[in-house]
Amino acid sequence: MTTALAALQTTVLWGGFRVWQRNRDAFFRAWKVETGGIAVEPLVMLIALGYGLGAYIRDVDGLTYAAFLAPGVVASYAMWHSIFDSTYGAYLRMETHNIYEAVLYTPLGPADIVMGEVFWSATRGLLSAACVLVTATAFGLVHSPWAVLALPAALMIGVMFAAIAMVVTATVQTIGAINNFFTLFILPMFWVSGVFFPVDQLPPVVQWGAWALPLTPAVELVRGLMTGDLHWWMLAWVGEIVVFWAVSMFFATRFMTRRLIR
Amino acid sequence: MTASNVQPIAPGREQAPPPAVRALDLTKRYGAFTAVDGISFEIRPGECFGLLGPNGAGKTTTIKMINCTSPLTAGNLWVDGKDVRRQQRAIKSALGVVSQADSLDGDLTVLQNLVCYGRYFNLTSRETMRRAHEVLEFFSLDDRAASTPDELSGGMRRRLLIARVLLHQPRILLLDEPTTGLDPQSRLMVWDKLSELKDEGITILLTTHYMAETSYLCDRLIIIDNGKVLVEGSPAELIDRHVGSHVTEVRVEHHERESLEQALSVAGAELDHWGDSIIVYHRNGAGIPPGLDLGNRPVTTRPGNLEDVFLRLTGRGLRDG
Repeated sequence: MTTALAALQTTVLWGGFRVWQRNRDAFFRAWKVETGGIAVEPLVMLIALGYGLGAYIRDVDGLTYAAFLAPGVVASYAMWHSIFDSTYGAYLRMETHNIYEAVLYTPLGPADIVMGEVFWSATRGLLSAACVLVTATAFGLVHSPWAVLALPAALMIGVMFAAIAMVVTATVQTIGAINNFFTLFILPMFWVSGVFFPVDQLPPVVQWGAWALPLTPAVELVRGLMTGDLHWWMLAWVGEIVVFWAVSMFFATRFMTRRLIR
Repeated sequence: MTASNVQPIAPGREQAPPPAVRALDLTKRYGAFTAVDGISFEIRPGECFGLLGPNGAGKTTTIKMINCTSPLTAGNLWVDGKDVRRQQRAIKSALGVVSQADSLDGDLTVLQNLVCYGRYFNLTSRETMRRAHEVLEFFSLDDRAASTPDELSGGMRRRLLIARVLLHQPRILLLDEPTTGLDPQSRLMVWDKLSELKDEGITILLTTHYMAETSYLCDRLIIIDNGKVLVEGSPAELIDRHVGSHVTEVRVEHHERESLEQALSVAGAELDHWGDSIIVYHRNGAGIPPGLDLGNRPVTTRPGNLEDVFLRLTGRGLRDG
């Protein structure tokens, strides 16, 4: 038993858990500051777009616009909060506050850091997604009990995007360069990935492009779960998310090791 | 092990522990730049070992190789008897590392900083709390457990940095300029505590620019420059070998320096100059040659020290690097 525990304690999952615990403690010390962004902002978006703009928009695929939009907000806020933390947040921890250096002088290494950071960022994404889900349920926008599975889906989405963002964080030389990741990749993707309108409204070529972006399967997965409109091919979207995660995780760990161990 | 292959053990050799650190032709290159150029040294268990050198000499790079955060380009390095290329996790578990960067966690309280570190070393939470209070008390920080690092003075922060790496009871401490930037009182306190740790049997590797610190704490030291070892020995040995028991400084007018230097040299004195001072070393019985009249120039004779050794070996020119 003790040897099994000792063996577990040398794995990257355990090391990642230690780093995750550090971020959790820091988060709870500052929870008053943090709550605004995580709970209030997606709520405002849902009300403004779902009810304000939605009043002028006819039903989409048999759903009111607010009900159509809600899963998109769940999935995209799992993304937003995850990537903010794993880009700007992680970069500051690494370069300004020397948190990574302190970790490197313990038995842990770069792989543990990447693992812990990715799962912490995803945890923040999950918290935000959960706030949206609860609010959407209160507004009567959720009709299927499958919606509960939107939470593990949001965690998966957060983990995938955090890993993608860590590839960026591990390679940029200045914090300003992170802006390009948002303006050239995340924001354009945000507009075409089915958050605001069904992807099949797009011209066929653009549709294919949209399906190759990681946010599209994320949004469709959550929408299927929240509306109860389930299909076997949703497993393919889960697969797409896992592949995006695995590839990004590999490169994030590799680039971070190259950056930290020189 | 069977009884037949048990070797008789020579008296006094029962527990000969491996060197705390053993470096053989240790080399680190960054592209065309050679930061550490084939240095060899050995740190004995329980001693305080000084790693001295001007800026850019390769001290920090050497420390990073020892704590497994910089891979070796060539050579070999064993820490606590383990190969840094293979047993990094075991080595890092036995080390306490304080680098030049202030890596205290500003998002956490003083106590949380320690708790967090304890978790990285997989201490149980009960063990962590017990040790945390011990080390805070040891460094007179026990009334600051609930403060944040931002609320501490520079001296307190440095003490906390050292306290944090003592939590897991490391066998070897690596301290990269632990007192740089501290006021004299804080520096004395850090010296006092490091000296207590040494008495407890912890091996210490120390880099510093304060020669008094080296003299006070270090049993042995090496001076490195341009990535190479210049000398190795105890502070007293090095002073004796390179500058002698005493040093005389003679202040001269700028125009007369060269002629006086020549007169001293001809009379057999060992000397250097710095600005308009001539420095004469009293080594092997030499000193100011008898009969040489220094007139009424300002003359100071004082005991030789490590600073003299350091400057004599590494030169008096400015280093930026």
